[in-house]
Amino acid sequence: MTMSEQINDRKVFSLLDVMQSIQKTLAGRYSTAFWVKAEMIRLNHYPHSGHCYPDLVEKKDGKVVAQIRSNLWRQDYRRINALFQKTLKESLKDGIKILFLAKINFDPQYGLSLHMLDIDPAFTLGDLEREKQKTIEQLQSEQLFNKNKSLSLPLLPHRIAVISVETSKGYADFRKVIDQNEYGYGYFYFLFPALLQGDQAVPSLLRALERIRLVQDHFDMVAVIRGGGGDIGLACYNDYDLCKAIASFSLPVITGIGHATNETVAELIAHQNCITPTKMAEWLLQRTHRVALPVRRARQQIVSKSQYIINEKKERFREQIKYFKSVTLNSLSFHANLLARLQSGLGQQTLFLLRQNQQTLHQKEKELDKNSAVFIAKTQTTLHTASQQVKLMDPINVLKRGYSITYAKNKVITSTAQLKKEEDITTVLADGMITSIITNLQKNTSNE
Amino acid sequence: MSEKITYTDAFDELQTIVAEIETGEITVDILSTKVRRATKLIGICQKKLSTTEENVNTILKELEEKEKF
Repeated sequence: MTMSEQINDRKVFSLLDVMQSIQKTLAGRYSTAFWVKAEMIRLNHYPHSGHCYPDLVEKKDGKVVAQIRSNLWRQDYRRINALFQKTLKESLKDGIKILFLAKINFDPQYGLSLHMLDIDPAFTLGDLEREKQKTIEQLQSEQLFNKNKSLSLPLLPHRIAVISVETSKGYADFRKVIDQNEYGYGYFYFLFPALLQGDQAVPSLLRALERIRLVQDHFDMVAVIRGGGGDIGLACYNDYDLCKAIASFSLPVITGIGHATNETVAELIAHQNCITPTKMAEWLLQRTHRVALPVRRARQQIVSKSQYIINEKKERFREQIKYFKSVTLNSLSFHANLLARLQSGLGQQTLFLLRQNQQTLHQKEKELDKNSAVFIAKTQTTLHTASQQVKLMDPINVLKRGYSITYAKNKVITSTAQLKKEEDITTVLADGMITSIITNLQKNTSNE
Repeated sequence: MSEKITYTDAFDELQTIVAEIETGEITVDILSTKVRRATKLIGICQKKLSTTEENVNTILKELEEKEKF
């Protein structure tokens, strides 16, 4: 403090004196560079000059407990950034934790700052990896990790809300495959523009998702399409807020971010991750294929099967006709036969009947003959017996046995009442007659 | 082809008809009806495969209205 001057008994320093004094003291105290870890909340890169003026903080329980500006000159920035891109696949950017080599710098005009000489990418890599793991674990603990995967994609996803950049190569690749598909499949896609990498990607993607949500009924799925941007700046896809928004989105989110490094969390939790936009377009065609082929097959099947059924029915119909014909003919001939048989049967039967009757008649005739003879014989016998009897009853025979017949006046006398005393009677005997005179006439009294 | 039917429904119905025809569980009386229906469904499916009814202007208008709030 040599440059002071005396004003009204007071020792007074100029501002420059003080600043220079501080500068000198600090330069003496912090002569060498040292490693510091801090969070770089803003890189503050000025493209025109190429220099960066990063804002560094340390937080404790979310509150800033230390804060300082720093500077990173153009040459150092270029070297370190290239190293980051190579090691981390990320550029130096806002919001990363860094381990850096610095010297205390005090400028009388610009004040205290840290002058960055080098940044260790391995530290940031580990930190980013930890952030990624933290995002994964948090999504898992909130049951969000498989949420988007569990949504069902429609049978025919063909209305696509695209999140991309109008001019990006990835979007062009996607459109080319979709628009020029040889099968003539129709898709509808609608672009919701967003930044797809780097610092502004997270808020930009979140905004695009929000806009899609407003008109989600028009869409079957969301396609996040990036491409042509190399592998740098994809750490945003490990961001918890973005991943949570994707996981819990009400439409299936398909990613086609196009890079060669490890899958980001957003890709892990997406409904489907296609490696590139071209692959995504092919995947869509494939899905359509899966339902278009059965339709084509159905058409062939219906034609051939219907033809088959009709032919079969025709064939059966023909068979039926044939069968009907043969059955009819059979029936006709059967009945004709039957008739013929009946006819011939009728003749035979008639003859038989005739013959039978004749026979009966003949028999009766014979019987009659026989019976007549018997009857005649019997009658003859009876007649003979009768004649014998008649013979026996001939008065001659009676007379021979001692009987006699008495006549008076040529009348056979059977009662005394016919006679009178002295009357002549003639007695006839078997071999002659006697004439007598009645001398006595006595009537039997014992009987009448 | 003005019938309002989702692709899934059209496709399912088509599959059912094909299965019916395939197994021969179909009578000649209804065959032509079924084939006509199947042809219509195939038409619907193919139309759905090759076109989409979404209209960019509708979405833009809807988006604009909803983003006002």
